[in-house]
Amino acid sequence: MTTSELQQHIRNCLQQVAQIANCQLIEPVTDDTVLLQSGLDSLGFAMLVAQLDEELGFDPFSEMEIAIYPRTFAEFVGIYQQYQAKHAGG
Amino acid sequence: MTACLLEQIKHHPGDAPALQYCQGAGEPLVSISYQQLIQTALLKRQQASKLYQQAVTLPYQHIEDFISSLLAYDGFCSALYLLPAQGADLPVDDSIETTSTDDATPSAAQHALASNWYLATSGTTGKPKWIQHSLQKLTKTVNTKATSRDLCWGLVYQPYRFAGLQVVLQSLLSGACLVDVSDGEVEQRLNVMSQAKVNALSATPSLWRQFLFSSKLAALPLQQLTLGGEIADQPLLNTLQQLFPGTQLRHIYASTEAGVAFAVTDGKAGFPRRYLEQGYYDLQLKVDQQQHLWLKGPAKYAPELANRVDSDGFLDTEDLVRLSAERVLFLGRASGVINVGGNKVHPEQVEQVILEVPGIVAARVYGKHSSILGQLVMAQIVASPATDEKELVVRVTQHCQQQLQRHQLPLKFNF
Repeated sequence: MTTSELQQHIRNCLQQVAQIANCQLIEPVTDDTVLLQSGLDSLGFAMLVAQLDEELGFDPFSEMEIAIYPRTFAEFVGIYQQYQAKHAGG
Repeated sequence: MTACLLEQIKHHPGDAPALQYCQGAGEPLVSISYQQLIQTALLKRQQASKLYQQAVTLPYQHIEDFISSLLAYDGFCSALYLLPAQGADLPVDDSIETTSTDDATPSAAQHALASNWYLATSGTTGKPKWIQHSLQKLTKTVNTKATSRDLCWGLVYQPYRFAGLQVVLQSLLSGACLVDVSDGEVEQRLNVMSQAKVNALSATPSLWRQFLFSSKLAALPLQQLTLGGEIADQPLLNTLQQLFPGTQLRHIYASTEAGVAFAVTDGKAGFPRRYLEQGYYDLQLKVDQQQHLWLKGPAKYAPELANRVDSDGFLDTEDLVRLSAERVLFLGRASGVINVGGNKVHPEQVEQVILEVPGIVAARVYGKHSSILGQLVMAQIVASPATDEKELVVRVTQHCQQQLQRHQLPLKFNF
């Protein structure tokens, strides 16, 4: 998956999960959107990570030895890019 | 007999801050001294003389009112029922008085009595039930050494629940300051903690992770970090150790029935395997063939737990564990109860709601591991023949949103 495909995939997932978790997302979610202010709460965020795990087959947050928590949407996507490369390579 | 709460805090410096809270975003902190708290409590006792030796319910409204009520009624009333903010369906005996009274008759010479404390817990069937405690039992692990007076505790749990009450009592009895951040958005709570210079914090692993999403956590002058209520995993412990080097980091293992069991301070997940052979202070531990953890403390367990106590006096905690060479690691609850960020979800309750939806003939609800909240709810359903699966998912999702609390919502419905 290319970077822009991955980003779009995450965006779609974000919308789906917001609906399931009953969260009101801010519009639009941009690269600089701070996750804690995106309208997605901890439950919504946990669901997003779990849903992406189902679809992409990996969860960066369970693989990290030292947990890193992204602040913005771009940082979040960046972590998935990094781990996608890791999974493709390994 | 343990002296009542009010007696125990009377020796703290009167002008020291006992409680701080914020009335709204951006507002300055309200600070209440020990002297002010004590005065309010004494006034409450005076105005409620007819409650002497009676059982009272304390409906939670506001932290200052709640704490002054605890001080007023412990040692004065026979029983204190700490009513959750959303706990109206709890069966409380009709004879129990509520605390709102304008009876101002001066009280006669009243002797302190040992009050029973009742905390609401979600029982095994999902229906809340009352668990009886004593002040002595609740304060068993409170640390009152001189340095604990300098701590400023962030209260992130609801104070009427076991975990929150532990923080309230630790702060009050040690003469520290308690900062109420039990409610609100993560950023707002961190702002208040930063304003109040909170340096001691006890939270669930899930809440610690939420705080870590903000850069504001790192700026807190934390000296004491405690994790409890859920399984603490190694990456989270590593992150906190790295962020706050040289501080005291501990994770607590507690079983509701056994009370607080033990604290692990070596920064590693689980607990040392040697506890199984050597015990932990006055506690003995063992693991059976089904991988259940069993505990045996110095006191006998309550008679209602008899069916979970073996002939040697060990209590089955119903927590599943895995043994590694050096550690005993927690896996979750044997009963299938799902722990979503510290909130218990009973699968049967969710299954019942799902089965109310026309077109669904069977449902199984289970937990899925979550790196953010510990676990999440998942559902597997069987639809009646010729049902449009896509349309059914929309209907069952909507029905669950109407009937269940948010943490009980299934992430996915698999067929």
